[in-house]
Amino acid sequence: MPKIEVNEKLFFSLVGRRMDAAELEPALETAKAELDAWDPSGPEDERVIKIELNDTNRPDLWSTAGLARQLRVRLGGGIPEYPFFSREGDQRPADYRVVVDGSIRELRPYMAAFVISGKAIDDAMLRDAIQTQEKLCSNFGRKRRSVSMGMYRIELIKWPVAYKGVDPDAVSFVPLQSDESMTLRRIVAEHPKGKEYGHIIAGSPVYPILMGADGGVLSMAPVINSADIGAVQVGDRDLLVEFTGTDMAAVCLSASIVACDFADAGYEIKPLRVDYAYDTPFGRSVTFPYYFQQPASVDSGRVSKLLGDSFGPEQVVEALARMGVRAEAHGQHVRAAVPEYRDDFIHAVDLVEDVMIGRGMASFSPERPRDFTIGRLSPVESFTRRAKDVMVGLGYQEMIYNYLGSGKDYIERMNASADDVIRISNPMTENFEYVRPSILPGLLQSEAVSSKAPYPHRIFEAGKVAFLDDARNYGTATRQRIGLLCAHQAADYNELAGVVSALLYYLGEEYSVDDSDDPRFLPGRQARILIGGEPVGVFGEVHPAVLGNWGITMPCAACELDLESLL
Amino acid sequence: MDPRSFLKGLHPLEIKVLLRYAPGDGLDAARLAAELGYVEGHANQAQAWLSAKGLAAESGRSSRNVYELTSLGRSWLEAGSPEERMVAWLAEHGPAAMPAICQAVGIEQKDAGSAYGRLSKEGVLAMGQDKLVALVDASKSLRAAALKALLAKADAAGGILEEGALGDAERALMAEVAKKRGAADAAFKAAERETVTWTLTADAAAVSDLLRAEGVSGDELGAVTQEMLESGSWKGAAFRSYNIKSRPARLIPGRRNPYVQFLESVKDKLVSLGFEEFDGGLVETEFWNGDALFMPQFHSARDIHDVYYVSEPTKAKSIEEPYLSRVAATHENGGATGSRGWRYGFDREFTKRLVLRSQGTVLSARQLPTASVPGKYFGIARCFRYDKVDATHLSDFYQTEGIVLGEDVSLRTLLGFLEMFAVEVAGAKEVKYVPGYFPFTEPSVEVHIKHPVLGWFELGGAGIFRPEVTEPLGVSVPVLAWGIGIDRMALMALGLNDLRELFSYDIEDVRLRRAKL
Repeated sequence: MPKIEVNEKLFFSLVGRRMDAAELEPALETAKAELDAWDPSGPEDERVIKIELNDTNRPDLWSTAGLARQLRVRLGGGIPEYPFFSREGDQRPADYRVVVDGSIRELRPYMAAFVISGKAIDDAMLRDAIQTQEKLCSNFGRKRRSVSMGMYRIELIKWPVAYKGVDPDAVSFVPLQSDESMTLRRIVAEHPKGKEYGHIIAGSPVYPILMGADGGVLSMAPVINSADIGAVQVGDRDLLVEFTGTDMAAVCLSASIVACDFADAGYEIKPLRVDYAYDTPFGRSVTFPYYFQQPASVDSGRVSKLLGDSFGPEQVVEALARMGVRAEAHGQHVRAAVPEYRDDFIHAVDLVEDVMIGRGMASFSPERPRDFTIGRLSPVESFTRRAKDVMVGLGYQEMIYNYLGSGKDYIERMNASADDVIRISNPMTENFEYVRPSILPGLLQSEAVSSKAPYPHRIFEAGKVAFLDDARNYGTATRQRIGLLCAHQAADYNELAGVVSALLYYLGEEYSVDDSDDPRFLPGRQARILIGGEPVGVFGEVHPAVLGNWGITMPCAACELDLESLL
Repeated sequence: MDPRSFLKGLHPLEIKVLLRYAPGDGLDAARLAAELGYVEGHANQAQAWLSAKGLAAESGRSSRNVYELTSLGRSWLEAGSPEERMVAWLAEHGPAAMPAICQAVGIEQKDAGSAYGRLSKEGVLAMGQDKLVALVDASKSLRAAALKALLAKADAAGGILEEGALGDAERALMAEVAKKRGAADAAFKAAERETVTWTLTADAAAVSDLLRAEGVSGDELGAVTQEMLESGSWKGAAFRSYNIKSRPARLIPGRRNPYVQFLESVKDKLVSLGFEEFDGGLVETEFWNGDALFMPQFHSARDIHDVYYVSEPTKAKSIEEPYLSRVAATHENGGATGSRGWRYGFDREFTKRLVLRSQGTVLSARQLPTASVPGKYFGIARCFRYDKVDATHLSDFYQTEGIVLGEDVSLRTLLGFLEMFAVEVAGAKEVKYVPGYFPFTEPSVEVHIKHPVLGWFELGGAGIFRPEVTEPLGVSVPVLAWGIGIDRMALMALGLNDLRELFSYDIEDVRLRRAKL
């Protein structure tokens, strides 16, 4: 979930008024945002508010202007107008043009761009734009894979700009954070940003480049800008903002979000036409910012049913307006024009949620459910509780352990085979690399760390184990088991035999025992437990070699029983 | 000093001393043995206990030498010393070679050598030209006779001889046959014993008087025995008072684990609210872990850095139909759900990939195809996350999740449920709801509660399952879905502040833990 920092002064000027924390916190709920930190020290111009955004489908909220917009509208500021958008069949006249070459089609086919103008960019807005670029491209743009963004100084650009794929060894330029001219291939191999993002394009025979009509390089998308045209600074006027990527709607929406942000902050947005050498979902020639969203609709009956309160169509329209969504009622049907900066209305229920927030959570009173249902524990849980009660009566302390552990503990120290143990292919550390195949390693680990606890030790755990099982669809099985261990000077087979007998008697099971050759136990002092001829468990004296592996010097006897087999 | 304060805490061993002796009387273990019949251990206990109460004080200390009969000494007592055995055997069998004698009487060659040396010096034995040992005069074997007498004397004295009890000849012989260290090959072990002399203090007199006044004899009965009850001998007898202030012995009972009990208490509360428990396997497919929950396959929470993958096998053999086809269509274009979908090519191989269950909501989705309407289900599921383990993160942990299906359930009934959980499960005093975001619910809310101890915090998240989740799984009614975080409450109930301690391996730690449930 993205966290952003907003400049306090810029934020409140865009909201329309100042707030204190007590007022801001509930206001942020409208945007599913939470106040993370607000440091009131430092000069007023530089104070920042840290905010966490929970909705990963609302990238429009991940900037100062975008978040402020949601609050402003919800506080009654009205639905903002963005007249610079082109629409299908209604392209705005554009003074700027980018030509997209066929050579980029297979690699990174989509591009959107516009120009901001009208006043010099100030520090707060530049910082915010850089933050927007980072959040948009890393979270929404999947680490620049599907969307990346660049900003450039118009005064250095010769139009039209070309977006094309070029031979990575044939073109060079001076990238940001460097002072020498490098080939595209060298930038990918050596530049810090090349190392971070170069993999997105490195497999392609051509690399993407934005180039002015005079051959001046703007950037190698999505990796790095040039050190001259691409070095935007406070005080610059007239900037080109550009987006490239693999998903036309995502590229287009990102451009719309940034355009609306700058418009809200008082900048003029100038349209730019992109001429493609191939078809895109929005045509071959698209003028950006471009409104591509389809209308969304919902019946007021559905709103009433899901929210549990009666809503007429007009009330739905009104609630949506408070979220900045323009809508009209047609009978019971409400048709909404999706705001330019949003594309998260995937289903009618998404509109229902905006109605909920627009109306205000406090307006919905909790209602006791009326349906009668019978509650019950799962059969496994009920049976396990019976087994645990018996174990407590037999003097055993219940334990509970982690289900992940190391190969050393689960396999090596147990003298057990690794054949049926589930291994994680991407463990974070070798301490959590395997799923436990048995409860016994946990019990022995307890004994190993508890030699100072007064003896005798009698412990048990009931819980799940999992192991490989080729016969099943998932190639694995999960079972509910109980494991028990006693450790003291005289702990032996006979003691456990008595415990097993008592446990199974009270669980209502007739059992028999048979020879066992489990390497975890001492030969001749271990038994398989059979019920109806089927093996359901094992018990015996823990093999001295296993105890040695754990560094245990107290005799131990242990048992493991599959509770699910007894159900 | 209040003499009465001692009365209940006195043991019969102390009482008899107090009644018999006066302050100033010189006491030691020997005197108590002679006059009160105390064995040495009892005499020492009486002294130690009275001293601890300030009723007795040490008055002097002296040491003396004693000789303890060793196990070798005891064997000589029974079978005879090597000298005795040699003389006896030669008397019966006539002259013989040394090795033959050793073997016959069962002694080591070196012991036999020194025994022969002593006996020949006394003129008891002699060795002829033929190297055979022969008996000369058995009556000259004085040393062997003296040793035999000494061993018998020690045995009669309980295995210990005081140095003062020995005559000069005995003392000289003892010096030959006793050793301080390495006494295993000697008949006696020489040791030093301390004698402590002590007296009752002036304070003891008042206690003694009180005992007499109260008629306490020290002969009061101890344990109530079966014999006493059968014979009725307890009637008319007095029972000794016990010291009820003494610390009781520690017991190690069989016991439930407080964290598990906490989890069970949550389950019981949910059952009481009409919820049926569901359960499932630890290994899941991407299909149920994410796809069925309408999380797009490119969603950031499905990254290699969020979910654990099974290394072998990597994939399930198949995914249940018709759910696979319906879910795939829903992702691609909304299918029959009225959604526009995520608009990408659904990967039918990726969906088979095996992962460790990363969210409890998986079990809710799995329940949908067979769920009743109306129906309420819950589970407390062990889940796995790719997280660095610290005080607030575990790589495996429990999530509490549930669903409610009904023709008429709505946001308001959801809030009603959340309020019930907040009050019944979490003990909240105030509840508030704020809009939330979860990929599988719309609308979504978060519930925050004011806990009497923890203050305001987020109890959990909830919402109404998206039609993209429910309809492909065959459910057409609204489904409320909720997840509540109970870890913080668990820590508080157990008085802990580190999640890792919930799964403690330390037996003593768990034994001593108490939970407020």
